[in-house]
Amino acid sequence: MIKLKNIEKVYRTSTIETLALNEINLEVGKGEFLSIMGPSGCGKSTLLNIMGLLDEPSKGEISVDNETIRDFSDKKLASFRNQKLGFIFQSYHLINDLPVLDNVELPLLYRNSSASERTQLATEALQKVGLSNRMKHYPTQLSGGQKQRVAIARAIVGRPEIILADEPTGNLDSAMGNEIMDILIGLNKNDGTTIVMVTHDENMAKKTNRLVRLFDGTQVM
Amino acid sequence: MMLEIFVSFLILFAVWTLSFYNYRNYSKPSGIEHQNVWAVFIDFNTDNDSLKTIYRDLVRQKLKSFPEIEASAFTSSNMPYSFSSSNSDMTYNGKHTHPEFMSVDPTYPDVLKMKLAEGRWFTEGDKVNKIKPIVITQKMKEDLFGNDNALGKIIGEKDDRKQIIGVLSHFKFENDFQAESACMLEPLGGWQTDMLVRVKPGTTVETEALVSKAIVQLGKDWSVEIQHLDNMKANKNRIIWVPILILLIVCSFLIFNVALGLFGVLFQTISRRKQEIGVRRAIGATKSHILWHFVGETAVITTFGIILGLFFAIQFPLLNVFDLEAFVYIVGIVLAIISIYILVIACALFPSKQASEIYPAVALHEE
Repeated sequence: MIKLKNIEKVYRTSTIETLALNEINLEVGKGEFLSIMGPSGCGKSTLLNIMGLLDEPSKGEISVDNETIRDFSDKKLASFRNQKLGFIFQSYHLINDLPVLDNVELPLLYRNSSASERTQLATEALQKVGLSNRMKHYPTQLSGGQKQRVAIARAIVGRPEIILADEPTGNLDSAMGNEIMDILIGLNKNDGTTIVMVTHDENMAKKTNRLVRLFDGTQVM
Repeated sequence: MMLEIFVSFLILFAVWTLSFYNYRNYSKPSGIEHQNVWAVFIDFNTDNDSLKTIYRDLVRQKLKSFPEIEASAFTSSNMPYSFSSSNSDMTYNGKHTHPEFMSVDPTYPDVLKMKLAEGRWFTEGDKVNKIKPIVITQKMKEDLFGNDNALGKIIGEKDDRKQIIGVLSHFKFENDFQAESACMLEPLGGWQTDMLVRVKPGTTVETEALVSKAIVQLGKDWSVEIQHLDNMKANKNRIIWVPILILLIVCSFLIFNVALGLFGVLFQTISRRKQEIGVRRAIGATKSHILWHFVGETAVITTFGIILGLFFAIQFPLLNVFDLEAFVYIVGIVLAIISIYILVIACALFPSKQASEIYPAVALHEE
C-alpha cells in the first residue's frame, strides 16, 4: 500500500545540516494498522508527512497504492491526497469559524461533490464517530475527545484507503484516548482502512498490528 | 477592513463622479473658436452713454483700416472666459431659468464663429423693433420651453419684453468644463466698452501694439488693454482643474494608505490562519484553491463594504443632489465599484499567493 525506499530527509540552513531521516525502508500493507514510536525529535512526524505527501524526501522513493510518487504536479499531489489519504492531527486542526458539519465536509469541497452529497457523506461520517448530535456546534463548543472525533470524521468522509494519524491521542486523557483508539481500530477492522499512527503511548501502540521504532531518524526495529 | 472599503468606496465615488462630470463637459463642443481672438478693454474716459455710442463707432471704423482684423464686436464685460457675470431669473409659463445676460454687437457670432441650431442672429435693422430680439442657448430653451419651439416666443417683463429669434447649439462661456448653461444674448446697450476682435492667424505683437495705439489716439485720455482669449480661457480652466488635481492627489494618497492597510490586514489574517492553510492543503486543496479562497473571502468582505457605501451613494441621484443628472452619479458608482474591486484584488493577490506557497508540512507544524 505504502512503500518507502531509502528515504532520507535533510533540513538545511545556511550553517547547519540536520539529518531528520536516514535510509528508511518501510512497507505498509493494505489493511494494516501500523504504529510508529520513538523519542521526541526522532523524525516520526517527518516520516508521516513524507508518507502523506505533505513533505518531500531529500532522497529515496515513495510508492502509494503501487503508484510511484515522482515529479507529481501540485494539482496531482492534491488530488492524490484528497482521494487516497485521510489525516488526523494531535491538535485536531479544526477550523473554529466553521460548524462541525462544514469542517467534516471540507475534503469533499475539493472533489466537486454536490452540496447534498457532501451533507449526506459528512452526516454519515459523524454518525460513525458518534457525533451526529453535534453537527451544528462549533469546535470551540466541544471537548478534546469530541474535537478529535470530528477530525476522524473529516479524515474518513472521503472514504480514503489510508489514514495517517499524528499522535491522535496525544492531547487526550486515557479514557478519551481509548475511545479514539477504539474508533480507529473499528475503521481498520470493519472498513479495512490502512492506518499509520505516530504515538508516544506504548499501550496504544500495542493495540496496532505492527510497531516501528525510530531513533535519531533511523529505523531501529 | 469593511470600514476601510466603505470609506474608500465613498472617496472613489466622489472622485469618479467629479472627474466624469468634468470630463463629459470638457468633451462637449464649446460652440466658439477662441484662437486668434483678442479681448480689448477700452476706457473712453467718460460716463456719458451717448458719447460712448459715438466712440464705439469711431473705434469700429478705425479697426476696419487694419487688414489683419477679420471681425470685431463690442460686448458687455461678461465676455467668454472673463471674470464678470450678469444674470437674473427668467420665467415663462411657470418655468424658471437663471440665464447669463450678454449684450453684444450683431457681428459677435462672426468674431467667435458661433453657430445657430435654429433661427437667425439679430441685425442692425432689429434695433428699431420695440421688442428686443434675443438669441438663447439650447439649455435655456429646454428650461423654459422643453421640446416646444422657442422661436418667436416672447419672454420678460412688460417694459422689457424680448423675442427669441435664434437658438445656439452650444455655448460654453466660462471654461471648458462648464455644463450646458442658460444664456441670453441681446443687442448692445449704451454703456458697454469692451470688445472682441478676431485677427488673422499669425498676426504679430507689433500689429497688436499698432491697434492699441490707434485706438488710444482716437480720444483724449483713452486707455486700452488687450488680452488674448486663449490665455483667458487657460486661466479659467486652471481654476477648475487645479482643485481637481489636488483632490486626485489627496485621494490617491488616501487610497494608497488604504491599500497598505488592506495589505497588512491580509498578511496578518494569513499568518493567523497558517494551520488552516496546512489542513486545507493536506485534505486536497491545490495552491490555486488556497489563492482563490483568500481572494474570494476578500471579495466577499469588499462586497459588503460596497453595499454599505451604495446605501449612501445612491442617495445622491435619488435626492438630485447638486442638480446633476442621475447618469453622472451612476457612472461614478460603477467606476468606484470597479476601482474598489481592482484595488482590493490587487492587494489580496500577493498575500494570497504567499499563502498558497506555504508548505503544508511547515504550516501544520506551527503551533
